[in-house]
Amino acid sequence: MKRMAERLLTPIRRSEQWVEYLLFHQRPWVLSTFLLITLVLGWQAVQIRPDASFIKMIPTSHPYVENYLTYQDDLSGLGNSVRVAVATTDEDIFTAEFQDVLRLVTDELFFISGVDRAALQSIWTPNVRWTEVTEEGFVGGPVIPPDFDGSEATLDQLRINVLRSGQVGRLVANDFRSAIIEVPLLDFDPETGERLDYQVFSERLELQIRDQFSNDQISIHITGFAKIVGDLIDGAKQVALFFALAIVITMVLLYLYSRSVQGTLIPLACSLIAVIWQLGLLNALGFGIDPYSMLVPFLVFAIAVSHGVQIVNAIRLESLNDPDKWHAARSAFRLLYIPGLTALVSDGIGFFTLMVIDIQVIQELAIAASLGVAVIILTNLLLLPLLMSYVGVGNKAIEHARLQARQGGEHWRVLTWFATKKGASTALGVAVLLAFLGVFAAQGLQIGDLDRGAPELRADSRYNLDNDFITSNYSTSSDVFVVMAVTEPDQCSSPVTLSAVERFQYQMQAVPGVQSSVSLADLSKRITSGLNEGNPKWRAVSRNQFVINASLAFVPGGLMNSDCSLLPVILFLDDHKAETLTRVSDAVEQFAENYNSDSLQYLLAAGNAGFEAATNQVIARAQYEMLAWVYGVVSLLCLLTFRSVKTVLCIILPLALTSLLCQALMALMGIGVKVATLPVIALGVGIGVDYGIYIYSRLSNYLSQGMKLTDAYFETLKTTGKPVAFTGLTLAIGVVLWVFSPIKFQADMGILLTFMFLWNMLGALILLPALTAFLKPHPELTSSPELFENER
Amino acid sequence: MLKYFNYLSLAGLLLSTSCVMAQQPDRLDQPSPMSPAAHSVLLTDITQAGERLVAVGDFGVVLFSDDQGHSWSQAQVPVTTLLTSVHFTSSESGWVTGHDGVLLFSDTAGAEWQLFFDGNQINQKKVDYFEAQIALLTDDDLADDPFLEDDLAFDLEDAQFALEEGPVNPLLNVWFMNQQTGFLLGAYGLALRTDDGGQHWSIFSSDLPNPDQFHLNAMTQLNDSLVIAGEAGLLLRSDDQGHSWYELPSPYEGSFFDVIAHQEALFVLGLRGHLFMSLDGGFDWQEIPVDTTVSFMGAYSDGERLAIAGLAGTLLSGDQPEQLQLLSTGTRQHFNAVVRTTEGWVLAGEQGIFRQGKQEGTQ
Repeated sequence: MKRMAERLLTPIRRSEQWVEYLLFHQRPWVLSTFLLITLVLGWQAVQIRPDASFIKMIPTSHPYVENYLTYQDDLSGLGNSVRVAVATTDEDIFTAEFQDVLRLVTDELFFISGVDRAALQSIWTPNVRWTEVTEEGFVGGPVIPPDFDGSEATLDQLRINVLRSGQVGRLVANDFRSAIIEVPLLDFDPETGERLDYQVFSERLELQIRDQFSNDQISIHITGFAKIVGDLIDGAKQVALFFALAIVITMVLLYLYSRSVQGTLIPLACSLIAVIWQLGLLNALGFGIDPYSMLVPFLVFAIAVSHGVQIVNAIRLESLNDPDKWHAARSAFRLLYIPGLTALVSDGIGFFTLMVIDIQVIQELAIAASLGVAVIILTNLLLLPLLMSYVGVGNKAIEHARLQARQGGEHWRVLTWFATKKGASTALGVAVLLAFLGVFAAQGLQIGDLDRGAPELRADSRYNLDNDFITSNYSTSSDVFVVMAVTEPDQCSSPVTLSAVERFQYQMQAVPGVQSSVSLADLSKRITSGLNEGNPKWRAVSRNQFVINASLAFVPGGLMNSDCSLLPVILFLDDHKAETLTRVSDAVEQFAENYNSDSLQYLLAAGNAGFEAATNQVIARAQYEMLAWVYGVVSLLCLLTFRSVKTVLCIILPLALTSLLCQALMALMGIGVKVATLPVIALGVGIGVDYGIYIYSRLSNYLSQGMKLTDAYFETLKTTGKPVAFTGLTLAIGVVLWVFSPIKFQADMGILLTFMFLWNMLGALILLPALTAFLKPHPELTSSPELFENER
Repeated sequence: MLKYFNYLSLAGLLLSTSCVMAQQPDRLDQPSPMSPAAHSVLLTDITQAGERLVAVGDFGVVLFSDDQGHSWSQAQVPVTTLLTSVHFTSSESGWVTGHDGVLLFSDTAGAEWQLFFDGNQINQKKVDYFEAQIALLTDDDLADDPFLEDDLAFDLEDAQFALEEGPVNPLLNVWFMNQQTGFLLGAYGLALRTDDGGQHWSIFSSDLPNPDQFHLNAMTQLNDSLVIAGEAGLLLRSDDQGHSWYELPSPYEGSFFDVIAHQEALFVLGLRGHLFMSLDGGFDWQEIPVDTTVSFMGAYSDGERLAIAGLAGTLLSGDQPEQLQLLSTGTRQHFNAVVRTTEGWVLAGEQGIFRQGKQEGTQ
């Protein structure tokens, strides 16, 4: 064990020597190289584009999604549309003024690029018709009377046409006080061949529709995936403001901490350079920045600042012995290069374990974060001391440090109580109690999203209010679970297929959480009834193929594919709670297992609820897998560094308690485990282990000098206590502002990361000494003098 | 390697035979699943069996209630087809018709049902019928009508083709005149009768003056006469217990969905709000104007009150024809049939049972 660890760590120690030589003896060259790279990557970084691809947010290798991707083109008629509801404060929509507005909105939408114009539907489009069974058979016409002039008579006719069109609950609200324009979108612009830009489209909806037509009487409500993506990107832009705010707050704290202008601006500049490099590299590698990886620049900045603080602190302390700037910077570099590298490498590896989760946004988050941490090694472990070697920390800062050194940091004495027997037992007792409470509370932890509407956005966001408006006034649900029924070519409308599918729908309608369902079978039944004078007694799937063919003379898009080998069955659900989704997907899978045949297979699943079901399944599995990986990797790194299982326990157990409490917090706050919150624990543990490494390496150092635990801990706190506390603070500041993000999952991430960063800090300051007192790892074993020889 | 391959293919074979069916089960062979969704399926008919209410509908669903329609239980039914009509000859014995020519029988007051026959047997009956007709042909018959043999051969061919095609046509109505004599009406002029309480059924479609083979939708009795109402204004009457039929003058060319006798008057109702009354047994009709254009589907009379149910939430009721009033049901679901209980109207509708309370019912 010991020899292996040595062999692994030897290259790092060797690298320290030539890196130090390069850095401090070739300063102009190194500096110009950094400048050049920063210019190149800066140019790359400004080109980075916001990116919110739907497919990246779902697990593409889950069988549900694989099935969807196989039939993606056939399902394109489903779902990707926007609904614009125009509502009036008048008694109903049958007024000349309202109809005028509705017509104008319909026209305006017609000309927005990206709209599938032929399929646009409102009561003002000619494709929306009323039909009626008469003595002569089916008769019908457009819902808007051809002679419509806004007069009482034509408005009355319109009212009758709306009633017999069957559009009440679909295009006209159940309370007749609003009307919907259904706007199907084209994924690719037919003229330019370009992919639809959701952000531009969403902006146009705001400007050309909402802003132009809203007034005292008229309100506009818009829902649809394109609008969610647009709102997400808009919300993500606001986050840039938080970044600026985080920089300012960090700057103030840095100054208060270091009392040095150079010591404030240079770490800040280096940290910003780290962010620029990270973004530049992302763009160079072809990645965009999505609402999830948006978090990474914040983390990179915070981690970079915290390491910068360690270095500035070390330079300050070294300056007390040797006021020469070059020497002080060089000594500080020597002191911190290896622990810094170890901490950053463990951060990076901790983040990289997120790659086990088969969801592209999380993997990109892992790549972006690992990349960012790697960049920090260069900018803050190398560039920062180099720059400081030119400017120094300033006399005022050195004076401040001298004053502090003389005062002796007595206030840290309080914490040493936790290293005494009594304090340790108290702390551990409380910790065990908290662990029990945590286990108890974490029972309520749920997978998936728990709120209504678009879970990405806040419940009171305009999108979700609009969504509420539409779901409460129309007979439709926004939670759609699509089962693909696959047959041989030309068999999708056979009597056998349709009656099997209608039976499937009937069985599914018995599953709690399923509101209603729609398929080609329903259409055939309705039209068959219509062809028989509208008699409901004829609302059945015929056994006669010719009758079915007659009933399916006109099939609206999305109910079958072009070679008639696929008919989607659309299940509308009450909500998208994990429980509901599990129940529905289990029921479908059970049915498929019982009834799949050579000629007809039921494949899961598409639709937002289908994808969410798949995502939940992946997350439920990945949750423990990821914890195993992140704790495995971090423990291994600690074991390599300290070579003692007891030491590993001293460092890891506080982290484990925080992870557990974080889960309890999620359960209590009603935050589910989902794409956004899954990475939090990996990030929290990856970063949280830094505190443990910094504190324990100092502590073991003093212990190996033969000090008593309480004294050794007091000395540790005097030197690293402040930077550790400061690190916790800067990290928390980096993410706490996210709580105010308009994007719900960013706020969730903000709350949880802040919690994890602060609790991990407390855990390191309180539980680590307590565990050390309790477990008594032997000083000879715990210290690793050859590793930290530079610190002495 | 070869050994493994054999095991694998054997396993594959087992899997394919045990887990994957060769084809989908037929709805005639599938018992209606017991399901909470049964309470929200399309119901097409409702009737009273003594104190019990029985309603039938889609997916082979039969529901019954012993508390005036407050709570409902699902009956055991051996098929999953859309059922179209229900009739009880006593509080214990009842009959149900459905798609695929299904006829169900229950002697447990509607709690359990047996398949009596389906469209395959009806098709066979048709073939047998025409074969018997051809066998019975005499030279005199041919002298009367030289084309009769060709016509019958043609009909037989049709019947044989239908037998091959399968049970594609629905039965639409079942109605018993008394314990012994009952009738089944169906699509394309299909009509069967029994005179032994349902033991044997025989086809009598050819006895009806219905050359265009219009759908037959409903029948009733007024005094000693029987009346059938059907598609395209078809009205037929028999004055000899249904042995011979003649066409009545029709006041309307659209379809009639129900016919009912109420206090010495005959009512027919159907497409687009058309409701007619005859006081002379169906020869002279007068239209009762109703302010609606939706179709009327089913009527109910207990001698005291008349009610008519229709599409889009329509319910019409009154003591006298001229007092019929549209009731506000507050729903737009389609109603297909209605019965009266001590607590008001109970309707069979598109989304299951709908109850219209007494207050509204007596407005």
